Amino acid sequence: MSRNSVKNTLQRRTFLKAASAFAGTSLFGGLSFKAFAQQAQALAPADHCFVFAYFGGGWDALLNLDPRDPNEFTPERISETRILPGYSLLANDPTYPTMPIQRQGSNIAFGPAVGRFADHFDVMSVVRGINMNTVAHEVGFRYFLTGKEPNGSAARNSSTATEVVGQLYPKMAANQRPPVPNLAFNIESYNDRYGGYANALRVSSANDLLLTLAPSPTAIDSEIEKQLIDMRGQPVTCESQLYDSRGLVTQYNDARKQVRTVLDASLDRYFRFDQTTGDPPAVAMEKAATVARYQLRVGNNGFTNDPRNSSAARAALVATALKKGVSQCVSMNIAGGLDTHFGTQLTQANNQRAGWNALADLIADFKESDHPAGDKWIKHVTILVFSEFSRTPLINASGGRDHHITNCCAIVGRGVKHNFVFGASGNVGMSAGVVNYDTGRPDRKGFQYLPDHVVATIMASAGLDYSIMRVEPLKGLMAT
Amino acid sequence: MKTLTLRFAALLAGLALVGCTSKPVEKPEQAGTLETVDMGNHPPMVKLADPEHNEGHVGRKPRRLTVAQLRESILTTTGRQWSQINNLAASLGQADFALTVSESTEANLVFAKFVEDGAREVCLATANADFNRAPADRVLWPDVTVMNRDFTTMSDDAIKANLSYLAVRFWGQPFSAAERDAWAGTFKTVAARAKTINRPEQAWGAMCVAFMTDSRFITY
Repeated sequence: MSRNSVKNTLQRRTFLKAASAFAGTSLFGGLSFKAFAQQAQALAPADHCFVFAYFGGGWDALLNLDPRDPNEFTPERISETRILPGYSLLANDPTYPTMPIQRQGSNIAFGPAVGRFADHFDVMSVVRGINMNTVAHEVGFRYFLTGKEPNGSAARNSSTATEVVGQLYPKMAANQRPPVPNLAFNIESYNDRYGGYANALRVSSANDLLLTLAPSPTAIDSEIEKQLIDMRGQPVTCESQLYDSRGLVTQYNDARKQVRTVLDASLDRYFRFDQTTGDPPAVAMEKAATVARYQLRVGNNGFTNDPRNSSAARAALVATALKKGVSQCVSMNIAGGLDTHFGTQLTQANNQRAGWNALADLIADFKESDHPAGDKWIKHVTILVFSEFSRTPLINASGGRDHHITNCCAIVGRGVKHNFVFGASGNVGMSAGVVNYDTGRPDRKGFQYLPDHVVATIMASAGLDYSIMRVEPLKGLMAT
Repeated sequence: MKTLTLRFAALLAGLALVGCTSKPVEKPEQAGTLETVDMGNHPPMVKLADPEHNEGHVGRKPRRLTVAQLRESILTTTGRQWSQINNLAASLGQADFALTVSESTEANLVFAKFVEDGAREVCLATANADFNRAPADRVLWPDVTVMNRDFTTMSDDAIKANLSYLAVRFWGQPFSAAERDAWAGTFKTVAARAKTINRPEQAWGAMCVAFMTDSRFITY
């Protein structure tokens, strides 16, 4: 659905919202009716949004997207299979199953650490057996982030999120553009070819985002502020018009108007999950639902996730940023602490599960929430879940696992087949897969596939130009 | 040979001294007016291309200030630094040459928001400080005589003269008469409101914010 149709769908609702809001505020000499209508329209969420969720440190694929049956891959067969699932080592925590999880109706088997993520098999594809060509953290991470193998350890392309925004943003009408189109939460972002509009706003915590969305910390009297705003709108001189013939001043003035729109909408309050003071009842209710869904700790109500800095809080921030029309692409480090050379299986599983459960809550949110353009949100969002590589299929002498070249990823939502597994890693040492691109099935005459193919598939399925990837998308993975 | 070189260097230094002091640059008689700068023996300047031969544009493409330029501009115009500029440098576009290898000079929403934040912090602090300074040392109203921190008693001419001074200070260019008159009208309203709420620093402080967030301040 195009943005124009979104606009048309919203027209009546927008008018009614604007009319009621105008009726309320005009009594107090507030914004003009036109301003209200523009404000309501300007913050409509994008039709197709993207989330890039990164598990930092290199995940154990046996515990998440590429499990093995421990009855088949037994310790006795190690010399033959070179694979040890090690699920029995999780037995100290009864919340972990000791067998792969496969929900009823699911074509996808998951490892024991995915938690509630397995419930959403019906809206995702899993890609197994990806050849990462590296076992260095920063190389693998930047490879998946950009879809291009780095030069040494230096990224060689824009981040996929930047590529998406770089292509989509200029095509949007000025009043339809999200104020922070590319948001990178505690994660790197690269831009090697697009204008500054595609640069990610890199934030390390929710506080950084609040600085952008919240009113200035130095207050000026509202009447005086209004005078200054009115003064900006005065006609410009002929010299000014000549100076602005290339549009820089217009761009700056548009950005200032956008700032007003963002501030007038008080978007910051939606991101203050731990504060409700002064919120209108509707906002307070919405935030309470978010807090409950993502189990964010507010007071002593028994929730366990830090509302400012936890996997759940990041997922809640992503949902809010997309649903409120603040951003179109959000990249985030959803979970970390996975580089467990010396850690136990349980450490790896615990660190993974926090991220998977947060993602599960995010997907559930998207499944249940209505997008203004129609359908549920899950039909308007694509989520790529990845790590830089996986961990060795055998456990080392220290009880941990080292770096392994074969990787996997999950793609959730729009653009890909659902309840589908593309490719497979080998049953000996989990070697990289060789598949038929059209079917995704193992094929000795097929090809290996790389992060380039995964990123090209995401871009192609969104109707974007993927020529920069220099590979063809995996047709067998794309939604038909 | 060494003696000759020293003599030549001394001669050059002498000539340079004469060149620097022989034609003192006169200050403009009225604040806000620009005088042509005597370039001495500077090579002839390249004339601006005819707009018809320059795709309808006059001169080169305007650019947004880099973060380093913004930092210096704030310090030069107000005498104080915005406390958050280093913390927000990356969001304002400064390259770190690790993840971002080129400076972003996009005049986007984040830049506009943070410049507004910075202008408010710096301008109101400057205005507050000016109340305790001798007239000649004031930044925002150096030649204004003010009683009881009440700017509503300023004459139209005094307001316009101060606005012209601020235009040159912040933008390096004078106001057109029409624009100056419009700004003077706004100032009167702002000054009246500042008096009403007993926040006198917001009178010229708010005008300082207007100057600093204007496109003429952040472009060159």
